[in-house]
Amino acid sequence: MTAFTRFSDEKITEKGFVFAPDITAVMDDSLISDPMANPFAGLRKGGVAVVNTTRQSASVLPGRDDVSVVTVDLTGQALKILGKPILSSGIAAAVARISGIRKEALLTALSEELGDIGLSADMVAKNVSFADVIYGELGPLGLKTEELPTTEELVPLAVVVSDGGIEKVTNTGNSFARHTGNWRTFRPTIDYAKCTNCMICYAYCPESAMSVDRDGRVRIDYDNCKGCMICMTECPLRAVTQSREVGVQ
Amino acid sequence: MKGKLLTGNVAAAAGAMLARVDYVPAYPITPQTEIIETIADWVREGKMDSRFVQLESEHSMMTAAGAASLAGARVFTATSSQGMLYTIEMLYNVSGWRAPMLLANVSRGVAAPIVLEPDHNDVLAARDSGFLQFHSETCQEVTDLVLLAYRVAEDKRVMLPAIVNLDGFYLSFTREPVVLPEQKLVDRFLPPYEPVSPMRASKPVSRGSSVFEGFLYSYFRYNQHGAALKAKQVFNQAAREFEDLFGRSYGPVEGYMLEDADYVLVMSNSFTGLGRQAVKRMRERGVKAGLLKLVMVRPFPAEEIAALLRGRKVVGVFDQNLAPGAGGILYPEVAGALYNLRGRPGAILPIVGALGGKQTTAKEMAAVFEEMIAIDKGKTPAPLFLMRGDEMTRVKKMIAVAEGRS
Repeated sequence: MTAFTRFSDEKITEKGFVFAPDITAVMDDSLISDPMANPFAGLRKGGVAVVNTTRQSASVLPGRDDVSVVTVDLTGQALKILGKPILSSGIAAAVARISGIRKEALLTALSEELGDIGLSADMVAKNVSFADVIYGELGPLGLKTEELPTTEELVPLAVVVSDGGIEKVTNTGNSFARHTGNWRTFRPTIDYAKCTNCMICYAYCPESAMSVDRDGRVRIDYDNCKGCMICMTECPLRAVTQSREVGVQ
Repeated sequence: MKGKLLTGNVAAAAGAMLARVDYVPAYPITPQTEIIETIADWVREGKMDSRFVQLESEHSMMTAAGAASLAGARVFTATSSQGMLYTIEMLYNVSGWRAPMLLANVSRGVAAPIVLEPDHNDVLAARDSGFLQFHSETCQEVTDLVLLAYRVAEDKRVMLPAIVNLDGFYLSFTREPVVLPEQKLVDRFLPPYEPVSPMRASKPVSRGSSVFEGFLYSYFRYNQHGAALKAKQVFNQAAREFEDLFGRSYGPVEGYMLEDADYVLVMSNSFTGLGRQAVKRMRERGVKAGLLKLVMVRPFPAEEIAALLRGRKVVGVFDQNLAPGAGGILYPEVAGALYNLRGRPGAILPIVGALGGKQTTAKEMAAVFEEMIAIDKGKTPAPLFLMRGDEMTRVKKMIAVAEGRS
């Protein structure tokens, strides 16, 4: 999923997709190597890449020495302060800090906005302190950016319609090719000493990421488990435990 | 005045709240659902004194809306895309009943293939239904046009239902500063709805009767047309009062850098912002570019278009929709408004773009103006369909995956 924000002292008329951002914030570092995501496409020369990761900045974005890279462990701080991996306030704080928005303006806006959507006063306060911490971790960066040259050209209709273009997927069942295990924030583990193989987790898993091995035992398919932890919630014997996981490949 | 950051969807819901609607029959569909969710919340919290009912389909929703409107309720509902297509049969009925309810359409391309982002095939499928149509460029316009649309629709000279259109994602999920009008002033601008011969248990009325005879049918249909045409004058009067009360001005069309413009792009809805940027950039290069935005699509503002496009070198009509086998839907309407005009533009270029919300670059918009300039220098106008080389490369890559060739 991608989302865009524009702010300016002048009236903004353009909406939607930002082709050449000054700042690109990546909320999950597994997206960096995903060719479909390609999150840094168009990031301006002199721009800033903010990445939620536990990795060091140097390893995040090789091959772009014309941009600054800021890494911050948003998920870690969110778990510590909010108790859940909800990152919005933290990333807002990071972008505000980098672009020179005052802290008071950020925190006031956050309280107003989160209050408006019906969050409890306690949760609003926690989000404000989450933002405060992230804001304090980072320094301001002077943004002096320049659009990258593009080789973009229009193609005439004749080029578009040349092959008949009937939408179809002949290579069906190809979702196996796409592993979603790198979405995990938490990793479920089955304690087979406690597990009675009652198959409740198998029935409840919304991703069909519980499979059964040759011996009839339930096994977690870590290539595709997204770490929703429904198995842990549903297990009547508390045989599933969770642990924080970073850098899932 | 400082606005509050609202999505287009919440801006639409806020318009309904300020209009003090009585009844909201609803059915969810992306990207509209936030409108009815917001209203449902406000009704539950007591912020809105309205009856909210979820129906089992858009067809039933529209039937309930029309019937309630005849009974004397101010009615608001919302839909999008396939939902709009499913209401179509009832749209013709509700406008034939002369029930002045309001439908917010959150534009989304129609299936197949399924897409979520906007183009205007959905709302333009309703273009012949007898609903008035107002199209918004910004979230502020969404709220304002909801209020204006009620005022026009319920005017005794009009008595027709109306659609307010807002683009999915580009407005529906985009937060912009919106100044919400004061309730006290809205109440002055939009007095309670007064139905014509409302249905009462004590005073039965039959509406939507069969007429069978073509001459009778023609009579009522011509009157529907007359009322729709009248809506422009009523809108202009209402817009003047709106400006006095709220300080924002609206017209059936809006010009941007038009004064001395040789090359004018005709656009509507949220992508107009991109058009404005393109005009600004062309002006920086010394090209006399301008833009004409359609706010009102029904009634079609043919006289305003003619008056503002007289004597231009080349006009481009940017259709964010496609009638396969014909081209853009608004192009022939704009061309029709200009054909009999003395001093009509030298040429009219049809452009189709941004289908399914296709991301459109500044360069693509510049290419549109380049084409208009080339036509002025003698090139024969041929329809322009916007698609970039880099997008074609991605198309090929994705088709290869779909066919197992990657």
